[in-house]
Amino acid sequence: MMKKKKPRLKRKSRKMFTGNNARNGERVRLEGLVQHQADELKIKNGQLRNKGEQQVRSEEQIHLCIKAMESTADGIFIIDAKNPDFPIIYANQSFRDMSGYTKKEIIGRSYFLLYKSDADLRVIEEAKQTIHRGKSFNGEMLSFQKNGKKYWNLLRIAPVSGPGGTTTHYIGIQTDITLIREKELEINEQRGELLHVTRVGKLAEFVSSLAHEISQPLTAILSYAQAAQRMLSDREPETQKILSYIVNDDKRAAEVIQRLRALLKKSEPEIKPLDINTLINETIMLIATDAAVRSCVIKTELGVNLPLVHGDRIQLQQVLLNLISNSFDALENSSDPREILIRTSRKDTDSIMVAVKDSGCGIPAQNIPKLFTHFFTSKPDGLGMGLSISRSIVKLHGGQLNVENNPDSGATFYFTIPIDAKDV
Amino acid sequence: MNNPGHTIYIVDDDVSVRRALSLLLKSHGFKVETFMRAEDFLAFKHPKLPSCLVLDIQMPDIDGLALQDAMAARKLTIPIVFITGHGDIPMSVRAMKAGAIDFLPKPFTEKKLLNAITQAISKNKIQIKELAEISKIKRRIKTLSPRELEVFRLIARGMLSKQIAFKLGIVLQTIKVHRSRVMQKIQAKTITELIHFAQKSGIISSYR
Repeated sequence: MMKKKKPRLKRKSRKMFTGNNARNGERVRLEGLVQHQADELKIKNGQLRNKGEQQVRSEEQIHLCIKAMESTADGIFIIDAKNPDFPIIYANQSFRDMSGYTKKEIIGRSYFLLYKSDADLRVIEEAKQTIHRGKSFNGEMLSFQKNGKKYWNLLRIAPVSGPGGTTTHYIGIQTDITLIREKELEINEQRGELLHVTRVGKLAEFVSSLAHEISQPLTAILSYAQAAQRMLSDREPETQKILSYIVNDDKRAAEVIQRLRALLKKSEPEIKPLDINTLINETIMLIATDAAVRSCVIKTELGVNLPLVHGDRIQLQQVLLNLISNSFDALENSSDPREILIRTSRKDTDSIMVAVKDSGCGIPAQNIPKLFTHFFTSKPDGLGMGLSISRSIVKLHGGQLNVENNPDSGATFYFTIPIDAKDV
Repeated sequence: MNNPGHTIYIVDDDVSVRRALSLLLKSHGFKVETFMRAEDFLAFKHPKLPSCLVLDIQMPDIDGLALQDAMAARKLTIPIVFITGHGDIPMSVRAMKAGAIDFLPKPFTEKKLLNAITQAISKNKIQIKELAEISKIKRRIKTLSPRELEVFRLIARGMLSKQIAFKLGIVLQTIKVHRSRVMQKIQAKTITELIHFAQKSGIISSYR
């Protein structure tokens, strides 16, 4: 079209000026003008062609964006903010899959109406109010598909501004985090179980140590009184009577202790063949949040092809958890990197060694002999039970728990655990 | 009750328990030696008289069960009555299997303690008698000539004189002479008794 225009103009000017030789100067001027216009046209033509190319390019880009939005596993939707009903004007394939509604059912409906009956109304209300204020919303909620199937929804809605800075649209992205949530729940459950066992274990150990401490003087008192009874033989009946009261009350106290012991009789450990490396990885998962909060990194160097060990999963986890959380405390005032290294290796033909090493404050030499005894603690809020319980668990498994300060900094706790007989 | 010459050893890290038990047992006529630590007890020179060890299980460093093992390793045969502040069943099973007389949870009455001690002492009397007999036999075995010892071993294994003569390549008459000299030196009246002595002394093991 453009190319046709130019020759037509040239033809026209030729017709106009033929046979008028006297006005040659005028002709030159006009020809110059024509030339100029032709040049301008050429430039315009070029510009138009560029624009066309640009348009093609941006069309390609839009196409790509839409294709990308349709390909992602996240649900994406766009809400018209100028309409007070907040209707959805676009929803990608994943959104339709996630919600279970068809395009027809979605377009024109308010996002919030889609879930109204079943979803977490509190979260929806919060989201609504947040975006009404023109802010971004970010939250998790339990959502329901059209067919009633639940899923955990991580929802983010952000305003999209138009030319004048006013919000014209909202873009929403939702992610199905059901699997992550389920894993978290599982971890929390395990952690809860462990905490319970640890608490009961601590109480039992506490009472048992208390019983032990009290039984010592009771033994002495009883024997003193009975020795005195013998020495007096038939003399001093009044004193004899008092001694018999002492003996009786001592026996009464002994019975209380006996009952306490019976009450807190530890449930038998469930000894099974275990893969120690799996156990360690599971335990690290349980404590991952704590590690992050305390900005500690837990590293592992797990021996390959280790045979199975013989032990109670929960009890051994308790030991590991205790050693790791002690390391956290030891690293409390350390500068970075706060690292804990857990290593497993074959110690000898019938046992495996597990070492928990930190680069923390280490243990003052004078504390090491007392470290594993009941009630010994260097922490302001400690009970002094953790390490003593850990040692008795390891001992019950037929292993040993010990500690050493590292040559550079921090300490290493290490314990052995027998290999499952079938695996030796 | 009078218990002259019977020694009770007490090993417990708690001073009050040691003092009280010592007073109580002395009032029953026992000779009492107390020790704060297992090492001290092992370092003590124990006379070969009827005795009994009253041993606390929970002690720092070497605990009661470890002392029991150490005594077995040193062939120190003194019956043990364990006392413990923890009523721990698996521990008591282990102690009893290793030959302990009793396992008393603290606090225990005078009666229970004395019952256990009496049992321990009478067991120890038998042990001492047995040990004395073994060393007597061993002393007699030492008087045998190398050839006589060889003949003794073969008799003890149940071989007849003819078999021994064939095995050693010696005439039967000589073997008979050796045999009667062995019987004489070991002071055995019959072959059965001779075999019994051989087993006791450890010259041959009883199941071979």
